[in-house]
Amino acid sequence: MEKGRRSRIPANNVKSTRALTLLVLLAIVVAGAWYYLSKRGHGIGSTLTVYYTKLDGTTLGNLSFSLRPQQPGESASEHLRNTVLYAAVQAVAGPPSDVPAIRFPPGTRVTSASVNGSTAVVDLSKDVDRQAGGSFGENGEFKAIVYTVTGVPGIAALKVTVGGETLPTLPGGHFELDQPLHRSDF
Amino acid sequence: MSWISRFIAPIFKTRTACAALLLAAWAGLPALAGASITAVYGQHTIRFTHVSTSAGATALGINDPGFATLLRDTGASLTWQPGDRYVLITTSVPTVVSFAVGDRRYDVGSIGLQAGIAPYQQGGEVYLPLNELLRSLDLALRQDGPIAVLQPQLAMLDVRSTGSRVDLVAHGGAPLRPRIVAQNANAVTYEFDGVGTALAGTRNVNAGGIRALQIVQTGTLRAPKTNVIVQLEPGAVYDAPRSNDERDVLISFAASAAAAQTPSSQAAGSGVSSAPAGSAAVTGVTVTPTADGYAVAIAVAGSAAFEWHRLRDPDNRFWVDVKGAQLQTPPIDQTEPDPVGALRVRQIDAATVRVALSLAGPKALAIVPSGTGLTVFVGEEEVASAPRAGTGSVGSVVASGEQAATVTPAPSDQSGDSAGGDNGWKFGSSHSTYVPKNPRLIVIDPGHGGSDPGSARNGVKEATLALDMAKRLRGILIARGWQVQMTHDADVDVYAPNDSAHDELQARDDIANNAGARLLISIHVNAFINSGPYGTTCYISKPGDVALARSIQRQLASDGTKDDGVIKSHLYVTLHALMPAVLVETAFLSNPNDFALLTSPSWRQKIAQSIADGIGQYDRQYPASNAPAQ
Repeated sequence: MEKGRRSRIPANNVKSTRALTLLVLLAIVVAGAWYYLSKRGHGIGSTLTVYYTKLDGTTLGNLSFSLRPQQPGESASEHLRNTVLYAAVQAVAGPPSDVPAIRFPPGTRVTSASVNGSTAVVDLSKDVDRQAGGSFGENGEFKAIVYTVTGVPGIAALKVTVGGETLPTLPGGHFELDQPLHRSDF
Repeated sequence: MSWISRFIAPIFKTRTACAALLLAAWAGLPALAGASITAVYGQHTIRFTHVSTSAGATALGINDPGFATLLRDTGASLTWQPGDRYVLITTSVPTVVSFAVGDRRYDVGSIGLQAGIAPYQQGGEVYLPLNELLRSLDLALRQDGPIAVLQPQLAMLDVRSTGSRVDLVAHGGAPLRPRIVAQNANAVTYEFDGVGTALAGTRNVNAGGIRALQIVQTGTLRAPKTNVIVQLEPGAVYDAPRSNDERDVLISFAASAAAAQTPSSQAAGSGVSSAPAGSAAVTGVTVTPTADGYAVAIAVAGSAAFEWHRLRDPDNRFWVDVKGAQLQTPPIDQTEPDPVGALRVRQIDAATVRVALSLAGPKALAIVPSGTGLTVFVGEEEVASAPRAGTGSVGSVVASGEQAATVTPAPSDQSGDSAGGDNGWKFGSSHSTYVPKNPRLIVIDPGHGGSDPGSARNGVKEATLALDMAKRLRGILIARGWQVQMTHDADVDVYAPNDSAHDELQARDDIANNAGARLLISIHVNAFINSGPYGTTCYISKPGDVALARSIQRQLASDGTKDDGVIKSHLYVTLHALMPAVLVETAFLSNPNDFALLTSPSWRQKIAQSIADGIGQYDRQYPASNAPAQ
């Protein structure tokens, strides 16, 4: 008889127990996903490596800068975006003027930055398009900024716009800009 | 190194001192009551109208027209858009100054500081703490009676040890032109005209012939001067001030003339690197598969020479020594898949890092200096005879704006020259599997033309030179039995007059792609903003371009300018060509020596000859095949 009672009681509770278990698992999954998405920017770290291209046209040098931590009220995605902005501004500024390096044309500045998935989108002022140089400068400039920005955790590629618009190529060496750039492009 | 003194404005260092400055500034700003500040800066006056106060500290709105004037006059630029939390200012140094709304921390380059107040939003505008803002621009607000003065500062006087020497590195908010105003056996006094300072005081040094430094501000608030009195040890010597930048000056000292002869290992005035000249770091070694083997990538930071050796089969050990380098990873000793066999990395002496492989046979190798160090490509193919040793260098050694040769041809190239054909040194997927419709057709693309002259110097246009060399190349190739098609053989646009760059470039690729050409050669002339860089480079974009580029670059290496090697880039013409394509940057129009070569018809003929020779060598190594692509 006891055996019969034991078998009846669990039988009545099986469905509700399973449903409860599923609900708990679902809640855990949802909470985990929310936590991951909300904290995604926390893996950025505290140091930024800023690359510059040396005057051999291809070798990279680098400098380190500390990163501002995520601020109260600053979402993870905003923090990532702000870090990308800072990285891009540092890359365009380049090293101190007494360090031999390939530099962006004078006046070039970052006007905005955003993040779309793992692609950073950085807008440069039109000054970058005003220098009729050659492949040497263009390759060196963009190698530096691509390496710098894709060094931010979570960023795999850099899409560059100029004056808010996609520019197919730069004028001198015909460096192509209409697709996101990766480190493997150099 | 405890005796090294750093005189970054001491007022940064304590909260109390910072508060004292703020109070002083507050007390000295009579215009604040009217929410505006009028200040003399150099020869003119700037009026700041977006002025606010918070917790007793003055803040300046970044939409202030006076602020825009100040940025322009100091050569700085602002990155900020409405809604942005970060406010970034790039100074003329350049140094990036970073503020963030709600955060008292602000960064000046790599230095993190605390402001008296955090930037805040008011009426849709971000307000920045004024004193910290000015300090980041190396300025200070001073009160000269009823008049406020924006006074450039001698903001930094850094004492740096470089072996037996000591360098004083000064940085200011205005061009620094120090001159010696007094000197004797015990002291030398440098006057920095036009800058004030908050660094006044005396500091002991006791190194490099310097006993102590005394910093004194003289002059007036509007015409300040700062004197740096260097108290010397007996027998100390010093150089004339040197400057690589208007706002940075370096003065070297040594305890004696003998010590002064020791080569300085400090990058002049940079304050960025304290590494000895020629020193390098091996920061990592990675092994990755390629299409027909493996690539052993040795990451090298800095400049270094390397020397490699391989033993004769059946002892198939190979090693490369990176000279003047420090290993920055733990030693590596691990088994790798064939054909690499085993990898060992270690510091074999104080200045040499050795990377050794135990190859699974007499495998094909290529040692290629690259952008981030050195890559050893190991192929599956076995070679009967191959060079057993070689040397080269990576990184750059730069002096006086010009660069020494850094890359020697890879052993594969040297071998190719002597063998005159395919000797098994090819690696990876460097050879294209593209099948041309016309294996005897080569398309030549003279860079630019028509509405796009390319770069120009002294009336000489890139398009003109490129077209000339292209025509010369055409003549040589036709004489050697090739069919040649030019994307254009006159100074015109290819797609349409005044077309877009995209249409123009795609039209050039279309010509080669539609014709099913064997190869595409685009001829250009390089240029840069200064005259330093020079040399010849082959740019490529696809793996299938590598072998052709190497063959051409090998021939160009002896053309009279510097061999800058093969560089992978994201160039439109090479990227969108279906066939092996190379963009040859023949020389720099911006370099005087290269300019002389480029304007010499005989040199241009030589370049055309070298490119044709490279094509010929490529054709012998990789005869056209009509077999379908694998």
